[in-house]
Amino acid sequence: MNTKLVISKISKIYPGCIANDKVSLEFGSGKIYALLGENGAGKSTLVKILSGVVKPDEGEVFLNNENIKLNSPLDAKKNNIGMVFQHFNLFETLSVFENLSIDSSKKNEELRLLVNDILKKYNFKIDLDIPVLNLSAGQKQKVEIIRCLIRNPKVLIMDEPTSVLTEQETEDLFVSLKKFSKEGILIIYITHKLKEVLSLCDEVAVMRKGKVVSVSNTKEEKIESLANKMVGENLGTIKKKINNFKNSVEILKISNLNFRSDDPYETNLINLNFSLKKGECLGIAGISGNGQSELFQILSGEIITENTSIMFRQKEISKLNPRERREYLMAFSPEDRISQAAVPELKIYENVALNNFKSSNFFEKGLVNEKKIKEHSKKILSNFSVNTDNVELKSQFLSGGNLQKLIIGRELITSPELLVCFNPTWGLDVGAINYIHETLININEQGKSSIVISTDNDELLRLSDRICVIYKGKLSKIMDASTVTPEKLGVLMGGGSID
Amino acid sequence: MSFDINFIGILIGAIMASSVPLILAACGELITERSGVLNLGVEGMMIIGAISGFALMVVTDNLFLAVMGSMLSGLIISIIFALLTQSLLTNHVATGLALTIFGIGMSAMIGKNFVGIPGKEFPLLFVNLKESVPFFGPIIFGHSIILYFAFLLPFLTNYFLKNTKVGLIVRAVGDSPTSASNQGINVLLVRYSCILYGGAMCGLAGAYLSLIYTPQWIENMTGGRGWIALALVVFATWSPIKVLIGALIFGGITILQLHMQAIGLRIPVQLLSALPYIMTIIVLVVISRDSRKIKLNTPTSLGQIFYKEK
Repeated sequence: MNTKLVISKISKIYPGCIANDKVSLEFGSGKIYALLGENGAGKSTLVKILSGVVKPDEGEVFLNNENIKLNSPLDAKKNNIGMVFQHFNLFETLSVFENLSIDSSKKNEELRLLVNDILKKYNFKIDLDIPVLNLSAGQKQKVEIIRCLIRNPKVLIMDEPTSVLTEQETEDLFVSLKKFSKEGILIIYITHKLKEVLSLCDEVAVMRKGKVVSVSNTKEEKIESLANKMVGENLGTIKKKINNFKNSVEILKISNLNFRSDDPYETNLINLNFSLKKGECLGIAGISGNGQSELFQILSGEIITENTSIMFRQKEISKLNPRERREYLMAFSPEDRISQAAVPELKIYENVALNNFKSSNFFEKGLVNEKKIKEHSKKILSNFSVNTDNVELKSQFLSGGNLQKLIIGRELITSPELLVCFNPTWGLDVGAINYIHETLININEQGKSSIVISTDNDELLRLSDRICVIYKGKLSKIMDASTVTPEKLGVLMGGGSID
Repeated sequence: MSFDINFIGILIGAIMASSVPLILAACGELITERSGVLNLGVEGMMIIGAISGFALMVVTDNLFLAVMGSMLSGLIISIIFALLTQSLLTNHVATGLALTIFGIGMSAMIGKNFVGIPGKEFPLLFVNLKESVPFFGPIIFGHSIILYFAFLLPFLTNYFLKNTKVGLIVRAVGDSPTSASNQGINVLLVRYSCILYGGAMCGLAGAYLSLIYTPQWIENMTGGRGWIALALVVFATWSPIKVLIGALIFGGITILQLHMQAIGLRIPVQLLSALPYIMTIIVLVVISRDSRKIKLNTPTSLGQIFYKEK
């Protein structure tokens, strides 16, 4: 089965944004193609066009030299184009089998046989009769893939498939995709993760600001070269931090931090002790779910624990709530940008006002001083290069990177002495990650301290002066970052010990 | 008062009759809600069905036309709701409330000329068998065809949702209209159909009241039954069989408390009148406690406005 898919001069313009600008690409079966680009580069729009969800303003699609019209998802199905979306298109309350049968014209018995064959062939293990909401993300994705396979697809498009998968699930997925490719299915793999492109794909097309900027064989590419193409500027390496905290004063001292929870999904913290100097960055590594979010909440004051002592600038603050802690010049950037750090339905300036109840004159006699808040917000947007100057924009329309810049900016503009952040660059693209990292390094150089809790070891090694690992609610000994290697961290994160 | 066995049979027959409008309206609304649409206009659609059924009966002297007309009028007024919420994307709750207020006012206006006119006798089936079988006779026989339909409806609805392809599509749309649309399902068509079906069932429920249960027109004669039907759907966690149980309990306690009032028990009348509401909710909450089932049966997109990406 030989399939040739040609996209010719596809354009799609949204108000205020050119999502696709005369995109032309060629694909042939037997290979896995990567479509690479930052968030907002136009990849998702392109695949929505290919799957019939969105109609292009201009351009044509040819499948095996035949001009095909993709006016609806049904058209894509008819032309054997299968699509696995980043946000699953599954019905959570229906069973796996019901999800599969809903768009199949086959009889139930026939379909069940077919699905069982597919399960066996690709070694998928999924119970067909349980509701989808009981499945893990990896299993849900398999259901989506099976749904495509039922229709004997010629083309299979995967949109950011690994963003929700564990490492093991990712490996399994790659094995399956390579199998599909061998069987003649044309695979288009959309991602912003560079390592995946090199380990999985044969050819790579890079998109930037709606345009295709390069098409090449992955053998000729390296991570750096792809990153540069993707971001469009020579990234170089970000600047190295100048350490100047060695002789500075201690700013934070935590002793005897214990936390016991009745909730089985929370982790108990056992006897944590650490301190932090002015201008220092402490990195806390660990596999997620080992007590990081509890530790963050205790530091921020969302959880108040008994008998714990938190001395911050010579004051005992362990009983203070988050707002009071902010008044003592602590700042926090939580893990979940959408549900913890910002209210997506509120406008940018409203979100800015949320954590500044007292420090400024935002509120007078119970009334909101909109003008002051907006001026202040504009300052944050420009100082922290958020990609908009419209403070009236609802926060949900900001991309992840811009939202994180806004959140960090909101925290830093009040010049706090300590910033605690939790996975500050989770899910962001290279450009935004570098920006956030430089910002965090800058505040250390200005003599402010930071605690970075992160599951990304590269990030920690880049930012931290000292590093420790949290495992099952306990902290490892705190090490000088220059003596730490990724291997050492890996051992500690798995519960082993080093010496 | 003698408690002979036939009396209990008659009592049960009366309970069944009083629960018919609730079953019809609730089963209709259940389908609407399963597609993700929250139509709070049940009371309004019911009362429009009641007046148009009665008016048609008076004008045409044909009961069949009257029943069909009541369903059609319920359906027509639900089109207003469908147009507003599905095509013009208005808020479901506000639009539904407006529909109820509109229906009550409209029915009062049309009904002015029909107050005090006696109804026509509705044909009952198997009347001769009613007396011949002790106890079961009054329960099983001597009812209108609409009652038999109403008692079949929850089972049909259940079968439709669980075992048919169209039922599956309705549930899928209620779960996630966006996913359904991406799968090539015409969400608007499904939701329009479900809203219109719900409207027709509410119209039929109204006709049962004005043509059979109390065959006459009284202003505001639905008396909040539409709201009870709505509550039944939610407290029955969108399960048609539990809707039937809930409707019977409600009807049962309504009739029983009337008898208790007649006996002259020393319990405040207000408390007795409130009893059906309280008991129905308690029972339904108790039998619907399985949180897993609640999650599976609840239409995730209920009340959410859906619009298609262009």
